[in-house]
Amino acid sequence: MTTTQAAPPTTPNNGALPARRDRHHRGAARWIVLALLVAGALAMLFPFAVIVLNAFKTPADYSNSGPLSLPTSFYLDGMIDFWNRVNFGQKLWNSIMIAGSVAILAVIVSLFNAYALGIGRVKGRLSIIVLFLIANMLPHEALIYPLFYIANQVGLYNTQLAVIIIFTVIQSAFGTYLLASVFSTFPKEILEASALDGASKWQILWRVVFPMSRPTLSVLVVFFFIWTWNEFFIPLVFLISNDKQTIPVALGVLQGDRLMDATTTSAAALLGVIPAIIFFLFFQRTLSRGISAGAVK
Amino acid sequence: MTRSRTTLARGAADATRVPTRKLLAGTAMLAAGALLLAACGGDDSDDTTGSSDSDDDAPSGEGETITLWHYESENGAMGIAWDEAMRIFEEETGATVEFEEKAFEQIRQSANMILNTDEAPDIMEYNKGNASAGLLASQGLLTDITGAVEEHGWDEMLSESLQTTARYDEQGIMGSGSWYGVPNYGEFVMVFYNQDLFDEHGVEIPETYDDLISAMDTFVDADVTPLAMSGAEYPAGQLFYELALTQADRQFVNDYQLYENPVDFNGPELTHAADTFADWVEAGYVPGDSAGLTAEDMGTSFIAGDYPMLFSGSWWYGRFVDEIDGFDWGIFEFPGSELHPGSSGNLWVVPTASENPELAYEFIEITMRPEIQALLGNNGGVPVAADPEDLDDEKSAELITLFNEINEADGLAFYPDWPAPGFYDDLASSVQQLINADASPQDVLEQLQLAYDTGVDDFLN
Repeated sequence: MTTTQAAPPTTPNNGALPARRDRHHRGAARWIVLALLVAGALAMLFPFAVIVLNAFKTPADYSNSGPLSLPTSFYLDGMIDFWNRVNFGQKLWNSIMIAGSVAILAVIVSLFNAYALGIGRVKGRLSIIVLFLIANMLPHEALIYPLFYIANQVGLYNTQLAVIIIFTVIQSAFGTYLLASVFSTFPKEILEASALDGASKWQILWRVVFPMSRPTLSVLVVFFFIWTWNEFFIPLVFLISNDKQTIPVALGVLQGDRLMDATTTSAAALLGVIPAIIFFLFFQRTLSRGISAGAVK
Repeated sequence: MTRSRTTLARGAADATRVPTRKLLAGTAMLAAGALLLAACGGDDSDDTTGSSDSDDDAPSGEGETITLWHYESENGAMGIAWDEAMRIFEEETGATVEFEEKAFEQIRQSANMILNTDEAPDIMEYNKGNASAGLLASQGLLTDITGAVEEHGWDEMLSESLQTTARYDEQGIMGSGSWYGVPNYGEFVMVFYNQDLFDEHGVEIPETYDDLISAMDTFVDADVTPLAMSGAEYPAGQLFYELALTQADRQFVNDYQLYENPVDFNGPELTHAADTFADWVEAGYVPGDSAGLTAEDMGTSFIAGDYPMLFSGSWWYGRFVDEIDGFDWGIFEFPGSELHPGSSGNLWVVPTASENPELAYEFIEITMRPEIQALLGNNGGVPVAADPEDLDDEKSAELITLFNEINEADGLAFYPDWPAPGFYDDLASSVQQLINADASPQDVLEQLQLAYDTGVDDFLN
């Protein structure tokens, strides 16, 4: 019972066909699928397991018996040292603040843009959407000098506000693209009915479109949060003062010129990834509800 | 009309489940709060920068502030020594040091941007070399400190080869021109050996090149691979270069590193290096499977006691002291050569945007004092101007004595990958082919000649 319940949601695309046949035949194939899934899960978890193993090892232990051995003692100093050295609590707050602000602001901007492009049907919307997509695909390295120049001219260099603005724009470019295509399939009847009821464009957006697309929007919030959380390059260049930096930038402190400190790096990586995992678990229900949920209801 | 609108809205709200709404609202509130705080945070830090700038006219009298950045770990040799230097500096000048530990990666990626803004520090550590300090100097971002160097006599404390990386010409090429930085420490490449394995096989510390060969033969006969190696990163290239240096003089180094004359890879030095390297691989002196190993793999295998010898740099020293406890170990100079890979360490540089260059020079002066230099040495670093007599730690004295010998003979020959950006990868892949015996020494030399010539040509023009 439990297996049949658990299997369908965890087997997307390629697993879906055999899984359905199994329900009727209950053959050996379902065990093969299960074994493949377990193998896949183990492969995915392996790097994480290596990090956990090495996070609790002394450097000498690591050097003597390599990365795959079990730790001989439970060693927490690496983690504690790192926490104090980079003032991790503050970095955590900075990351939450930047990623959270970007997630919310970018979704709001995407909503406005997509309303105009997907429902408002402005002229040349296809080329506008393509433009957004291109903006989203540009590598950050290509953007960095112009961004730096502008930020420095307006006095926003070395401020978190600059990073929030940049990522709001970058993320909302993707958000606009996605939401615009979701909105283009928005049921016309509802829009017409509300227009007949005398709702203005603004009212239609907030009282009809926004509530109905809420599941999609919350998925975007989660995506934007995690993507921004993991960003390294732009925060690295823009957040100069240590007290403004985010977690991925703080991890960079451990990367030396010639030597690396594998155990402390593992401990730090573990510290850095835990908040993202917690956030994901929190919003997992929202995620699994899927992007398509809000499309037609 | 109002009624129908509300029904519509409620209907729509019902369509989405309550939990989503709550979550979304919660996140929104959190983010809104965060934004507010961010605004405050931004203002706060602007204020502090503002006040630290205007500290000059603050009534406290001694209230000057100097911003200092470096990227050494706080319990490494440099971290400890510089911490003490900052303490002495604050005590003697009455100024406050605002120190921030930076990430190497951050400085590497964005120094040329930071130094163009108000956020630039008054003094910072920066990587030596054409592509690093040289580039910033040629862009006018670093202060020409020649005057201060002469005034404080730092030039007399540093040997010719240490000075090379502190001076850059208008094009940013090291070796001549004005001073743009001062190194506190050096680094060099030597042989680390495992005393227990040497004793076990009755091998003496080699004093000549032939001694080294016969020592390695003894190990090979006993089925022990003598030399730990990493083909995927810098160590193999450095061994290749060292082998060339056994046949070279200072002029070869100047040609290769400072572009004084064109370098012929079919000349005696580099031909010897390629042939000898291939011989060593064939004789089993270096592990045949080491082409794909990283420097970290090489180091940990030596720490684990798997190899009697390791040819690499002083940057391993502190780590070996901390982590090797299963056997005795020591160091010796690669025999048969006056010249060895090595150079000054990173530099103290004074950005052009520095508001307090005089105080910055004062700080550099303190770092060059005997007590700070000795502190650097006692913690596993290689001070540029230390007297081994001042060192309490026996192990450190061994390292610094060796460095001083090489340095006094002006034997630092820099690193093989320095001449051109990207040459590091070319060198690594060529020497990898030697380890795998995929290509003849002749082919490897031809590849290197081409890579070197195009790389240097691109760099100079």
